[in-house]
Amino acid sequence: MKSSRNPFHPRFYFPLALVVFLFVLPILPRNPFYEDLILMIFFWGTLAAAWNLVGGFAGQISLGHTAFFGIGAYTSTLLWLKFGLSPWLGMIAGAGLAILVAIGIGVPCFRLRSHFFALATIAFAEVLRYVASYWRGLTQGGVGLLIPFKPGMENFMFRGKIPYAYIALGLMLLIILVSYITRNSRFGFYLISLREDQDAAETLGVNTSRCKLIALIVSVFFTAVAGTFYAQYLLFIDPDTVFSLPLSIELALLAIIGGLGTVIGPVIGAFILIPLDVLLRGYLGAISAGLNFIVYGIVLVVAVIYFPRGVAGWLKTWYEPFLRRLPGAKQALVTEVTVPSPALTTETSDPQDPDPEDEEAKSPLFQVHSLTKYFGGLAAVKDVSFEIKKGEILGLIGPNGAGKTTIFNLITGFLSTDSGKIEFRGEEITGLKPPHKVCLNHIGRTFQLVKPFNNMTVLENVMVGAFSRVRRASEARKEATKVLDFIGLLRQRDSLASSLTIADRKRLELGKALATKPELLLLDEVVAGLNPRETEEIISIIRAISRQGITLFIIEHVMKAIMTLSHRIVVLHHGEKIAEGTPAEISRDKRVVDAYLGEEYLA
Amino acid sequence: MAATLIQLVINGLLLGGIYALISIGLTLIFGVVEIINFAHGEFLMLSMYASFWLFQLCGVDPYVSLFMVIPSFFLIGWAVQRIIIQPIIHAPPLNQIFATVGMSLVLQNGALFLWKADYRTVRTAYSTFSLKTGGLMISFPRLVAFILALAIIAVLLIFLKRTYTGKAIRALAQEKRAAMLMGIDIYRMYKIAFGIGIACVGAAGAILIPIYYAFPTVGALFVLIAFVVVILGGYNSLVGALVGGLIIGLVEAFSGFFLSPHLKEAVYFVIFILILLLKPTGLFGRG
Repeated sequence: MKSSRNPFHPRFYFPLALVVFLFVLPILPRNPFYEDLILMIFFWGTLAAAWNLVGGFAGQISLGHTAFFGIGAYTSTLLWLKFGLSPWLGMIAGAGLAILVAIGIGVPCFRLRSHFFALATIAFAEVLRYVASYWRGLTQGGVGLLIPFKPGMENFMFRGKIPYAYIALGLMLLIILVSYITRNSRFGFYLISLREDQDAAETLGVNTSRCKLIALIVSVFFTAVAGTFYAQYLLFIDPDTVFSLPLSIELALLAIIGGLGTVIGPVIGAFILIPLDVLLRGYLGAISAGLNFIVYGIVLVVAVIYFPRGVAGWLKTWYEPFLRRLPGAKQALVTEVTVPSPALTTETSDPQDPDPEDEEAKSPLFQVHSLTKYFGGLAAVKDVSFEIKKGEILGLIGPNGAGKTTIFNLITGFLSTDSGKIEFRGEEITGLKPPHKVCLNHIGRTFQLVKPFNNMTVLENVMVGAFSRVRRASEARKEATKVLDFIGLLRQRDSLASSLTIADRKRLELGKALATKPELLLLDEVVAGLNPRETEEIISIIRAISRQGITLFIIEHVMKAIMTLSHRIVVLHHGEKIAEGTPAEISRDKRVVDAYLGEEYLA
Repeated sequence: MAATLIQLVINGLLLGGIYALISIGLTLIFGVVEIINFAHGEFLMLSMYASFWLFQLCGVDPYVSLFMVIPSFFLIGWAVQRIIIQPIIHAPPLNQIFATVGMSLVLQNGALFLWKADYRTVRTAYSTFSLKTGGLMISFPRLVAFILALAIIAVLLIFLKRTYTGKAIRALAQEKRAAMLMGIDIYRMYKIAFGIGIACVGAAGAILIPIYYAFPTVGALFVLIAFVVVILGGYNSLVGALVGGLIIGLVEAFSGFFLSPHLKEAVYFVIFILILLLKPTGLFGRG
C-alpha cells in the first residue's frame, strides 16, 4: 500500500529541522576554535555511533576499535606517502584492510563470552600498537608520520576547517542513517535479540555468528574511514595516538553516556562530552597531562553504576510529549492510513486442519533411531528410538536427569549426537547445526528456564520469531500481533518482557516459538511452576496449537498436564527408553511406576 | 649452548613466578566474583609505587614493605568490591567491564598526575647481586622474588583448602546458589575474594620493585601478560594460573633470546589466539 508522509507533522519536520541545524552549525560564528569543536563533535559522534553498532546493538563489547581506526589512518597515509595514491582511494583501501582484519579477529573471538571478548580485543589492539611502534622501516615507529600539506580536493587536504567539518557531518549522518535503518529492520531485531540471549535468538532462526560479523564489518568500515579522516585533518599520526586504548574507551564512553543501543544516543554523547573534553583539556590539561582522563574515568564509573541507560533513555520520555505540543501534531502523520487488522479469533482458519486418526496411515513426521549421547563416560541418552506422527502430541517423561532435555538439545542443534539418526519429513537431520538451521527447518522449541529478551517489548520478542519467515518489519509486526492475540498477550504487547509475570513469560516463550511457524514444536516444561488456573490456560493454548496442525513433543513433570494432553508418551530412565504407549498404558506400567510415577500415583 | 638453554629456563621460571602471582589474583576474582578486573594492572602499579615511596621516604626495604602492602591492599580490594562492584554485580557485563575500565583510567592518570611519567626503581644493596655457579648466573632479587611469589601462592592455596572461609570461597566459585543455600554470606565472600586478589597483585608489586621500574602505565604492560596467563591456564583454575605463569615466563625468555625482546607482545598474542581457537577452556579450565 502506498503512503506519503505528511511534511507538516512534527514527527517529520522536527528531525528535518535538526538536520538543517547541523548543516548550519559549522558556519555560525567563524572562528577556528569553534569550527574545530564542531568538527570534533561530528568526528567523535561518527566513531561512537559506529562502535555502538557492535557494542550497543549487538552487545559485543570491543575495546579494540582503535585497532581499526589505526589501520585506516596508517593505510591511507602510507599509500599516499609511498605511492602518491589519493587518500580518498587510500581510505577505501584502509577500510578494506580493516574489514579483512576484523573478519580474521572476529570469527574466533565472537565465540568468547562478553568479558573475554573485550579482553581479546584489547590484546589485539595493543599488539598492533607494538607492531606500528617497532616496524620502523614502514611506519617510522614512535616518531610518527608527517603528511606534507598539499591542499586540493584530490589530496583530501583543505585550507581551513569547514570542508573537514562537512565531511565529518556527512559521515555522521550516514552512520545515523545506517543505525536508524538497522534499528527498524530485521537485522536490528536480530542484533538486539542476540545481545539479550544468544541461545534464544538461535532457536528463533537467528544466525547469530553472521549477524555479529556483519555488524562488526559495518562498524569497522566507519571506524577505519574515520581513521583516514583523522590523518588527513591533523596531517600527523603516531602509534601511541591512533592505536591508544583510551581512544577505544572514549568511544564507548560517548555511547554509554548518550544511550547505548539507541540510534542517536552516541551522537548526543558526543555533543555533551566533546565540548566538556575541550574545556577539560584546556583548563585541566594546563595543570597536568592526564587530568582530563581522571574525570573521564570517574564519569564512566558513575555512569555505568547509576545511569546505565544514558541521556537518550531520559530524552525519550519527553520527546513524544514535546512533539505533541508542536504545531501540526494533530494531523495524521501518514496520509493513507493502513490499520493492520489482526485476526481476532483463537481458531484461525487452517486449511489443512489434520485429523490425527486420518494421518495414522501416513509415514511419521519425525523419527529418532538409536539416538545416543555420552557426557564423558556417562550415557545421557542411550539407544533411544521413537517416532512422532503428523498432528500428534507426544509426551516425554522421566525422572530428573533421565536425559529429556538432552534429547531436545540433540534435536535442536545445541548438542551433537554421538550415534543414531534423526529424521524429519523423511529427511535426515542428524547433526543439523547450529540451532538456527533447525528453526528454519520448521522445528521450534521452548526452554525450561524461559529466555525472554528482557529489554525488548513483548511484541518485539515475538517479532524476532516472525522474522524467520518474513523480511519486512511491517509484516513481522502483523504476524506477531496475530500470535500475541492467539496466546492472550495482546494487552501487554508494549510492556518490556522483563516486567511480565512468570505465567506470562511462559506464554511469551510459546509465542516466540509459534511465530517461527514450526511444523514440529518442542515444549520443555511449559507449565512447571504455574498455579492450577494458569496451568489450565496454558493447556488450552497447547490444545489450540495442536488444532492448528502443529505436531507437539512435550516434556512435562506435571502429570495432569501430560496425561490429558498427550496422545502417546515415551518414558525415559537413566537415558534409556523404558516404556512407550498411551497415557493409560503408561500409568499402569510397572517399570514406569517404579522408576518415576511412584505407588501413590496408582492409588 | 646447553648452559645458555639452562640459563634461559632459569630466567623464564624466575619471571614466571611473578606472572603467576599477578595472574592468580585475577583468576580468583574472576572465578568468584565473575568479573574480569581490567584495573588489575593498575593495582600492581600502585603497589610498586607504594613500596617505592616506603623505601624512598621511610627507608623500608621492599621485602619488609610486603607486610604493609599485603594487608592494606586487601582492604583496598575489599572497598573496591563494596563500593564499585557490588552495586553492579547483577548488571549486564557491559556495566561491569566499564566500571573496572573506568577505574583503571582514573588510577593510571592519577599516578601520572601525582608522580609524573618518570621511571622509578629501588636500588638496594642486593639489587645487582647475583649467584654464579658453573657458568650460570642467577640474579639474587629475582630468585627472592620467585621464592616469595611461590610461597605466597602456596599460603593462598592452603588457605583455600583448609579454612572455612577458603572452602566457602571455593564453593561459591563452583555453584553460587548452592553456596548461598548452605548459609554462606556470598557478598562477604565476594569482598574477601576481591581483597585477596588485590592483595596478591599488591604483593607482586612489592616484589617487583627491586628488579623493575614503577611508572604510571607499568600495569598495562603486566596485565596483558596476566590476561594471557589466565586464558592459558583456564580462567577459573588457580593451579592453571600458576602453571600458565611459569610457561609464559619461559616463552618470554626464549622468544626474547631467539626472536627479539620487542616481539614478545606479538608472541603472547599468537599464544592467546591459538588457545582461543584450539582450547578455549585453557590447560586446566572447567568447561
